[in-house]
Amino acid sequence: MSSAAIDPREDASPGRNLAGRVLWRAVRALAVSFWVMVIAFGLIRLAPGDPVLARLGAEADPAAIERMRRALRLDVDPATQFVEYFFGLLRGDLGRSLENGRDVMDLIAQSLPVTLWIIAVTVVLGLLIATPLALVVALTRRPWAPYVFRAATATFLAVPAFFTALIGLIVFGLHWRVAPIIGYEPGFPANLKYLWLPALVICTTLVPVLARVLYASIVETMGEEFVETGIIRGVSRPRWYWFYLLKPSLAPTVVLLSYMIGVMIGSTVIIETIFSLPGIGRNLVGAVIGRDYPVVQGIVLCFGLFVVIVGLIGDLVANWLDPRVDLA
Amino acid sequence: MTIADRPGTDARRRDKGATGSAGRLGVAVGSAMLAAMLLAGVLVPWLSPWHPNELVTRPLRPPSMEFLFGTDQLGRDVFTRVFAAVYRDLGVAFLGVAIPAIIGTGIGVLLGVSRNRVLVAVMNSIIDAINALPLLVIAIALIAVFGPGLVSIVIVLAMTNWARYARIARTRAVLVNQQGYIEAARLQGYPAWRIFVRHFLPNVSSETMAYALSDFILVIMLVSGLSFLTLGATPPTAEWGAMMSEGRPFVQQAWWMTIFPGLALCWAGISVSFIAEGLSRRERAL
Repeated sequence: MSSAAIDPREDASPGRNLAGRVLWRAVRALAVSFWVMVIAFGLIRLAPGDPVLARLGAEADPAAIERMRRALRLDVDPATQFVEYFFGLLRGDLGRSLENGRDVMDLIAQSLPVTLWIIAVTVVLGLLIATPLALVVALTRRPWAPYVFRAATATFLAVPAFFTALIGLIVFGLHWRVAPIIGYEPGFPANLKYLWLPALVICTTLVPVLARVLYASIVETMGEEFVETGIIRGVSRPRWYWFYLLKPSLAPTVVLLSYMIGVMIGSTVIIETIFSLPGIGRNLVGAVIGRDYPVVQGIVLCFGLFVVIVGLIGDLVANWLDPRVDLA
Repeated sequence: MTIADRPGTDARRRDKGATGSAGRLGVAVGSAMLAAMLLAGVLVPWLSPWHPNELVTRPLRPPSMEFLFGTDQLGRDVFTRVFAAVYRDLGVAFLGVAIPAIIGTGIGVLLGVSRNRVLVAVMNSIIDAINALPLLVIAIALIAVFGPGLVSIVIVLAMTNWARYARIARTRAVLVNQQGYIEAARLQGYPAWRIFVRHFLPNVSSETMAYALSDFILVIMLVSGLSFLTLGATPPTAEWGAMMSEGRPFVQQAWWMTIFPGLALCWAGISVSFIAEGLSRRERAL
């Protein structure tokens, strides 16, 4: 990424060859994952006062306090706690819920697919809307088009998804009754019935960002000489659109999209709550209200690792689309 | 950020020419909208015959001349409550941007200048890790620790949001550090604090301030979003997100309970968004 390119100290990326750069990027992702793990671990230890007392109340039975302290492994010193936590993670052990004793890993394995489906449907829908929109605005000759485009995207950017969700619920769910307002059915394509409205709602904040970057890079690409070369060589229209115009323009969008997926995880938390979808985000809200620390810790770690992996994939795909994109 | 940094990703070619006037229009419209809201935030609670938390009439009355935005499930005037929330929402959001911006800019500049490679490498990956976690997710998780409330939101934002500013400030400080005027200031024997305050801060903060404006929109949504999830403002506090959350069970009978606070929230967001948009266009025109 560009910030690294201008920083002379970070120019230490070993090897100029592709494999070396990919490896270097993966090592950086691992380092970030480590710190994400430390943050997830540190969350409940960071609390001012005693997290056990915060959950049970000051007048709780001392025996119960002692039991919970042992359940959270807060009775041993932090270094031992961290080592246990780390090796637990390697075995896939994230601890148990304080609320109902459920295995946190199970809970995540069960609810993560719902969230991933929401994100997948949103990304597909977002690209399907944003790409033609950006192309039309970039290729039209009407002078007002870019201004209307900017004003409209600036407006949509500032409307919170949970407000759009409530309006969607009122209009499509209650008034026209074309979308179910509650419930979920796993399995493609049955789940699409429940996912199209939530995905559309998240798209109201995703599409403006995507379309803007895509528009800007299409305009940028149109200034390149190879685009004109394509026209002069007389390549077919579809070929020209993809190889000469879109493919080189998509790289910044892909990097942005991988970043936006991280932001979207934040919106899914609220959207899942509004549409009562049994995803991981709704579990997080429930766990926070119930102060179920192992669940909070596990879900935060899961989200963090997911974002790191998506970022890694995004950079690699961008590099494939446009090899000029810097992987370091 | 890194995408925005890339020279040429803005639509310069297309926008050249008329940019200045459109930018000014954006700033003017946005400022007018924001000013109107701030003014109403003072006037409405002051002129209103009712207190925001007062039970004035029968619950769930639709909007009328007497109760412009209707009444809520307890019979409170939604109009008074929406405008009583202006300074609470915008004030919490302002603190949630200003404190991280100051902390982050400071840390970022120090990292950009520091020659301690180990410290810089460790801090960089901590910053990357915080930024890897979606702001809303880490904020929700920290609320589990600090407990719900508007004060908790400000603390949580101060603890996490600085990392975004630190990353921008660090990148910028590395560039500034290579400039001749820093060298000149050092050769003249100015103390480090003076170089930091007089030479680094003004040149770095122009960059972080630009981000702060767009961040303000996100933080307004974050504050009300957390309250909507009942993790922020607690009843009976008049706060947009909390009001929408209270109105949600009544959405079928009493749409006004959720729609009007939501529109106020959009109004605030859009006004800042227009200002940010206009300013970024103006910079480009220069």
